[in-house]
Parts: sequence; structure tokens; C-alpha cells
Amino acid sequence: MNRQYPVSDEALIEAVKNGDRNAAAWLYNRYVDRVHRICYRIVLDPSQVQDCVQEVWLKVFRNIDRFQCSKSFAAWLNSVSANTAIDYYRKWIKRSSRIDSDEIRTVVTDENPGERKLDGALTQQRICEALEKISVNQRTAFILRYYEEMSINEIAETLGCTDGAVRTHISRSLLALRAKLAGKIDV
Amino acid sequence: MKNQRLSLEEFKELFQDSFESQEQLLSEYNSFLSIFEQLDEAVVSELSSGQKAEIFKQSWQGQPQESPWICTLLNLFRQPALTFALGIVIGCILMSVVMDDPIELSGMASADELLEIEHTRYSRTYKGKIIDDFYSEFENPKILLEKAGESAPPQRTLHGTLDNGEIYVVWNL
Repeated sequence: MNRQYPVSDEALIEAVKNGDRNAAAWLYNRYVDRVHRICYRIVLDPSQVQDCVQEVWLKVFRNIDRFQCSKSFAAWLNSVSANTAIDYYRKWIKRSSRIDSDEIRTVVTDENPGERKLDGALTQQRICEALEKISVNQRTAFILRYYEEMSINEIAETLGCTDGAVRTHISRSLLALRAKLAGKIDV
Repeated sequence: MKNQRLSLEEFKELFQDSFESQEQLLSEYNSFLSIFEQLDEAVVSELSSGQKAEIFKQSWQGQPQESPWICTLLNLFRQPALTFALGIVIGCILMSVVMDDPIELSGMASADELLEIEHTRYSRTYKGKIIDDFYSEFENPKILLEKAGESAPPQRTLHGTLDNGEIYVVWNL
């Protein structure tokens, strides 16, 4: 699949609406990494991300008829991705006992911290823990703002809340992340 | 993620009135920027091309394969105004059917079924649903009102059976 496919999103979407599998593949290839990034940072567990990404694309292809080309496909996709990932994360937290997660952390911490590879893993682990400690809505607002560069207004539309609520989510997540990460990682 | 994404202006907007002096605000801003530097350490592992292909295959196959005329019909029903109007039309049709052929709501038994009276010269026999319900412990109950003669006083007796007709009961009332 050629990543430089010169056709616009709108043309691809129209073709997908008519059942064109190739157009769907082009559209998918254009945006799959973005969807994966959002899901990864919201769900936080690499073993769950593939299923989550698949749920997003299922929804996209099922509901693409409802998408109006007058709006930005990327913004719509961000919204579908974020909301699907939030739902997925909540369902997953419910069904997973998460008893063994503490064991995994202990094992990682007990290993020799001198190795550079392990340092990277520890850093990753601590950042994940810090992100995990903030609520999924706060995390999503934070991720959409600073990783996906969405505006406050777009995030508010995505999460179905007010601009003020988004600002509160972001400021709380910043404070919480600073509290969790301060002094923990040597940069 | 670049550190510049949290601009000083945005920081001020998010934490307005939280800091007493400009120096404190700048110091806090810098401490938040270092958090972003730390977060940049977190790497998002990419999906392999095999995983991407699998996800696409599953997602594309998972969507309902509708024929175009069904698509058109479904799209029509997705329009709220049309669905609302159709609901009203269907409601009106149903109402007209109901009004033209009303349901028999008076499902009560006729008077004859409720109480049957048999007359003879010197007796009257009462039976029917009322007697059945009143003396429900008996089978086929009936009340016999009879006179031995023209001037004799009337005598009321209840006749019925028990145990599937094995016991015949006559009860003076």
C-alpha cells in the first residue's frame, strides 16, 4: 500500500461508502498509526492495544456512512479513537482483576538497575504508572492536547463536556503527573 | 512531543490565580516543562505490518455487507423527521383499524348464562354461573325451590355432587 496515495480523504471516504475495499485500505494506512498512538496512551497496556485499535476501525467502517465530508475526518477519527479507547479501558479494568500487575512491577524493580535497557523499561513503567493514576478522562484530555495537538474546543466536543471541564482535566493531570514523576526519573 | 506545546500563555490560562508572583509562575512553568521532557522518554511501540494487516482484515470483514437498496432504505430510516412522520402514519392506520372493528370489550356472560331458572307448577330450579361461583365446593350445584302444595310453605334445597359425581348432596337452605 503506497503511503503517498494522492487522493483526498473526502474522495476515499466516498469510495469507502460505496464499498471500495482498496479505498478503505488507503484510508486505514493513512491513519492507523495515529489511532494506535491514541489508543496506546489511553489504554496503556500494550497487550490490549491491538484489540482496541481494531474496535476503533470496526466503528469507523460501520459508521462511515454517517460521517459528513464537510467536517474533518481526522477530528472525527480522533473522537472515535479517544471514546473507544476510554470505553475499552473501563471495560478492561472492570474485567481484569489486575492482581498480578503488582507482581510484574516488583520483578522489574528487583532486577539490576545498571543496565541501560532496563533503565528504559523502568522509565517506561514509571511513566505508565503515573499516567495510569490519573482518571481516564483527564488522561485523554491531556493526550489529545499535548500529543495530538487538538484544541481545547475540539477536545470538549470529543469528550462531550465544556471547555472549562477540559481545562480542569488538563490542569489536574499536569499537577498529578508532576506529583508522580517529580524526582523519580533522571533525565 | 515537544516542550513548546505547553506555552507560557496556556500555562497561565490553566493555572491563573494560582501563583503570587511572576517569578513563582515562571519557576513552576519550568518545572512542568521538565515533566514533559520525562514523558518524552515513554516510547510508543509501533504496530508491525502483520498486525496492521490483521486489524484491517478483521475490521473490514466485521462491517455489515449490505446491498445498496438496503443501505438506501436504512439511511432513509436514520432520518429522525422521516421516522417520526412514519410513526404518526402507522399510529393513525392502527387507530382507524381499531375504531372500525372495535375489540369486544364487554366480554361478560349473558344473563341467561349467569342464572338459569326452570319453572314447573310447584317448583323453581336455579342454576348457572352465579350458583356455581357461590357454591364452588359442589359440582353442578342448583337450588331447588319447591312447594308440596298450593298452600304449603316453600322449601329451599341445594343439590349438587362431590368427588366427580360419586356423592350426591342435598342441603336444606
